Amino acid sequence: MLLDRPTSADEAIDAFLADPMLEPLVAAHRILEPLPPRHAPWPEGLDHRLVAALRARGVEALYTHQARAVAEVRAGRNVCVVTPTASGKTLCYNLPVLDAVARDGTARALYLFPTKALAADQLTELRALADAAELDLKTSTYDGDTPASVRSVVRAAGQVIITNPDMLHAAILPHHTKWFKLFENLQFVVIDELHTYRGLFGSHVANVIRRLRRVCRHYGSDPIFICASATIANPAELAEHLIEAPVALIDENGAPRGRKHVLIVNPPVVNPQLGIRGSSLLTGQRLGERLIRDGVQTILFARSRTSVEVLTTYLREALPSPPGHQSPIRGYRGGYLPNERREIERGLRDGRVRGVVATNALELGIDIGGLDAAISVGYPGTIASTWQQMGRSGRRAGTSLSVLVASSAPIDQFLASHPDYFFDRSPEHGLVNPDNLHLLLDHLKASAFELPIPSVERFGLAETPTLLEVLEEDGFLRRADDDRYYWSHENFPASSFSLRSAAQENVVIINTTGDRHRVIGEVDLFAAPMLVHEQAIYLHEGAQFHVDRLDWDERKAYVSAVNVDYYTDADLGVTLKVLEVFDEVDPGAGAQRQRGEVMVAWHATLFKKIKFHTHENVGWGPINLPEQQMHTAATWLVVPDEAAARFDRDTLDGALIGLARLARNTAPLLLMCDSRDLGVVAQAQSPFTGRPTLYLYDAVPGGVGLTERLFGVAAELISACREVVAGCPCLDGCPSCIGPMTEVGPRGKAAAGELLAALG
Amino acid sequence: MTVRTLADRLASVRGERPGAVAVPPLGRRENRSEALARWFGAQLTIEPGGAAVVVERAVQLPPEVAVRLADLPSACYFDTETTGLSTGAGTVVFLAGMGRLDGDRLVIRQLVLPDYPHEPALLRRVVAELAACARIVTYNGRGFDLPLLVTRLTIHGLFRELAALPQQHDDLLPVARRLFRRPLGGARLAVVEAGVLGVRRESDCPGNEVPGRYFSYLRGGSPDLLADVLDHNLQDIVSLALLEAEVLRLRDGGWRDATVLDRHGMARELLRAGATDEALALAETAIEPTLDPVEAHALRRLATRLLLANGEVDRAEALWSGATRRASCDAATAWLEVARIRERHRGDLVGALEAALTASRVLDLALALGRGGGMLAIGQVRLRVEARLRRLRRWVAAAERRRHRVAGARAVA
Repeated sequence: MLLDRPTSADEAIDAFLADPMLEPLVAAHRILEPLPPRHAPWPEGLDHRLVAALRARGVEALYTHQARAVAEVRAGRNVCVVTPTASGKTLCYNLPVLDAVARDGTARALYLFPTKALAADQLTELRALADAAELDLKTSTYDGDTPASVRSVVRAAGQVIITNPDMLHAAILPHHTKWFKLFENLQFVVIDELHTYRGLFGSHVANVIRRLRRVCRHYGSDPIFICASATIANPAELAEHLIEAPVALIDENGAPRGRKHVLIVNPPVVNPQLGIRGSSLLTGQRLGERLIRDGVQTILFARSRTSVEVLTTYLREALPSPPGHQSPIRGYRGGYLPNERREIERGLRDGRVRGVVATNALELGIDIGGLDAAISVGYPGTIASTWQQMGRSGRRAGTSLSVLVASSAPIDQFLASHPDYFFDRSPEHGLVNPDNLHLLLDHLKASAFELPIPSVERFGLAETPTLLEVLEEDGFLRRADDDRYYWSHENFPASSFSLRSAAQENVVIINTTGDRHRVIGEVDLFAAPMLVHEQAIYLHEGAQFHVDRLDWDERKAYVSAVNVDYYTDADLGVTLKVLEVFDEVDPGAGAQRQRGEVMVAWHATLFKKIKFHTHENVGWGPINLPEQQMHTAATWLVVPDEAAARFDRDTLDGALIGLARLARNTAPLLLMCDSRDLGVVAQAQSPFTGRPTLYLYDAVPGGVGLTERLFGVAAELISACREVVAGCPCLDGCPSCIGPMTEVGPRGKAAAGELLAALG
Repeated sequence: MTVRTLADRLASVRGERPGAVAVPPLGRRENRSEALARWFGAQLTIEPGGAAVVVERAVQLPPEVAVRLADLPSACYFDTETTGLSTGAGTVVFLAGMGRLDGDRLVIRQLVLPDYPHEPALLRRVVAELAACARIVTYNGRGFDLPLLVTRLTIHGLFRELAALPQQHDDLLPVARRLFRRPLGGARLAVVEAGVLGVRRESDCPGNEVPGRYFSYLRGGSPDLLADVLDHNLQDIVSLALLEAEVLRLRDGGWRDATVLDRHGMARELLRAGATDEALALAETAIEPTLDPVEAHALRRLATRLLLANGEVDRAEALWSGATRRASCDAATAWLEVARIRERHRGDLVGALEAALTASRVLDLALALGRGGGMLAIGQVRLRVEARLRRLRRWVAAAERRRHRVAGARAVA
């Protein structure tokens, strides 16, 4: 340790970077040079009260991206603003909206945020600006927490309604007549955190927006969409898919930035044979402790709630505060009370809180100002969200520091050994597939409930009339003599599905411990056979529960709290059948690649009990549950005959298992998805292709476009996989690359490398 | 490999999603409105918003009912049948029944929707009928029928028509809840009808079958499917009129010999109608006969409130002494009430303390005898007793000190 404590955060960061103990851990170190601010003059005719309010806050001029957003919106164009964290993105929509409301009190705006917490924060910020400008703005959040007594007032008089897509879907659109003041005068729809609307959720939201537009048309409004997104590769494309209209992309950031050091840190190898590295949690804690001790205000991101609590405890132990004083180290995660969270945010702004440990709750734009350092303990899953976490540190002037501590997970290790992927590649693509038939049919029903659908109207697909006929045959709709389809069913269609899951039903998990039964969670139907089969150990918030009974027909799993030293792992038999080929690439020399629709069937047959730490198998049992099926999209890679012929069957099997694991872990990097969104099946002799084949499929019925995208970037996937295998220091396979030798066989790693070479 | 068409993909999607009922495709019917009108012998008018089919029937009311109702401002007894229970935008009113008094007959006009496109015509007629009366009488109309009517009018851009509706809306559901829910175990119209009005329905169409009947009719079924629904709706409207007359009869002293009646609810009903003396008379006379301790307690509280408002403190206190005899939680509560009356209305702190102490003793006894409900119930009363005791002891002591000071000052002087 240094004898002289550094006097400022800048010096402390420089001292930290110069410390020799750091050097062996650093896998990459880049410096982002400072950028000066770029200002633009105040837009002509912007309400003078708004200008005065901003001036009073010390804003002398707008940044270029803010001014452009105002100009584009005023010109009647939809916009998509993409600038980093803390660049003043919210002004890009609050300014044009408040300006319009100031001029015309009947104007209305709808704000959509992915979570209630964000909506509450935005309400505070919007009110503060409106109050400062002395505008009498009527605004409120509208969500599950809104008291019934307030709701009718909000519906009739609210000028800016702040809500989430789920409420729009289930509560606002189906009751649009109660909101006719809003829909008659709706001028703006603001969609913030656009990048969260991807995959299945995004595909649902795109359909909700289709329904929103129909309702707006009915009442004669045609709102402008203002979207804001974190950095992803295709923000304008994602926005255009979601709102199905052209958008003007605003991605030149006018906000200033100080110098920033970005580090990727890899804990040292502690067991070279098994390829095991030191704990990322402890490494992150040591770095954080050092920085906080030296006066560097630091945020640490951990991946789970449990690790937040563990990290907070460790840091408090290492940096004790005097008795009777509130510790300057705080945890911050979902599950904390709103007041507590506000207090921590205030503490961060005024400097009383010196260190905070968070889940990704803070990534989403809650205003805490810029901190000195951000440490991500473990790769958060996507490049975009890593940059968002890193964006939490950064001051307008002076130096800041961002660190990614790699865990032993394969993706983390890949990034540690290939930092260029992280720094130089564009971040992920946000993908949606609004025309997924499953979703489309559900939303078409919901939309028909809201307003009858003329038989010639198009809702997404050009084949809408066919879909309407199908829904009529199924007894949901009926075509009347005026050639419109009317909802003709007594149910309320919007309540029959949720925007956040594909399965129609979830299995509810009921804790029977104690005197009262309590629902502690849900798993979707597809995952249920693996997670909550009878005798499974289900983990929930760090606690263990034993599944006593699974009532499959009622979709209920009854569990009780236990404390055991093992977890369970279900063996899943997956079969895959190709139904249709949409597209293929068959280069003469290289490997064949196809994409199409497949049927995946899976059947959980037995489970193993596996002891913690030693991973011994300490028992097993059967699972008696029906087989499940889904139709979805897939991309598959076919191993050429001459490559396959080089290996005996066992080696080939092992290598394919390894490849499946590798592909499943690496593909999310290219697709901006969770690894659970993607399924992989390897067949040593595929009945369809007749050769060894690696199938990657969307783990959602109907698909959300992941594997369609993957078809286009398969070469990148293969080369990324090759680099992992080549770059991994293990000898015969390890959990960080293709899996341990016990699973892939003694020649697995070498064979996998050769297969990859043949594929690429 | 055959290329799968959209139809194939749809088939597989539907195969994975059970729950849909396949319905045979239907041929387009020629003129539904005419067929419907013919079937029910209804009047058919073609209006700008479509065809309106109006079935008119009259029902003879018992003379005393007609007499009672004739005194009230003209009413439209209004009830709708709908395609679902949600008040969302996709629920449609396909049958609107409206009854009006004509001498000793109730004339019921039922507007039937021949098909969705004719809805504006139906809505306009409903508004016109309602607007011709001084008030609307419904059963749960505040929660359901009227909001739904507003929704339908809004969808068709007819929101302004609402201004024509009468201002007075008497929803009988809350009244029926007050008067009959406890004795009948429910307040659905069918329950009240059978339990209070003596109505027996011959063959009724259960409410949950109503939407399905209409959908079947729309999909090419016979109008006959709706016959039961029309009868059901007609009976609902007749029952509405009977119920309103019955409520009036009870208010006019009929409560004295009523067998099925929540007395406390009736007293509140009388208070709402402004008959304070009647309400007090009812509460006082009903306390003794009632066997339900909860009702007795509620009646005593209500009567106490009324008596104290008139300054009749003795009568109020006497009301509670009837309840203090047995050692039970209720007795302790009664003593607490006595304490409250003595403290607040007599300014008798010592007497109040005495009553509170008695409450405490009674509670001890109740516990020892195993009466007065579970530990939780006793515990809750105990907390209230202790709180009052603490307060009264403090005040009594303070009054004591004050007296000493004054006496001391006098002695010095």
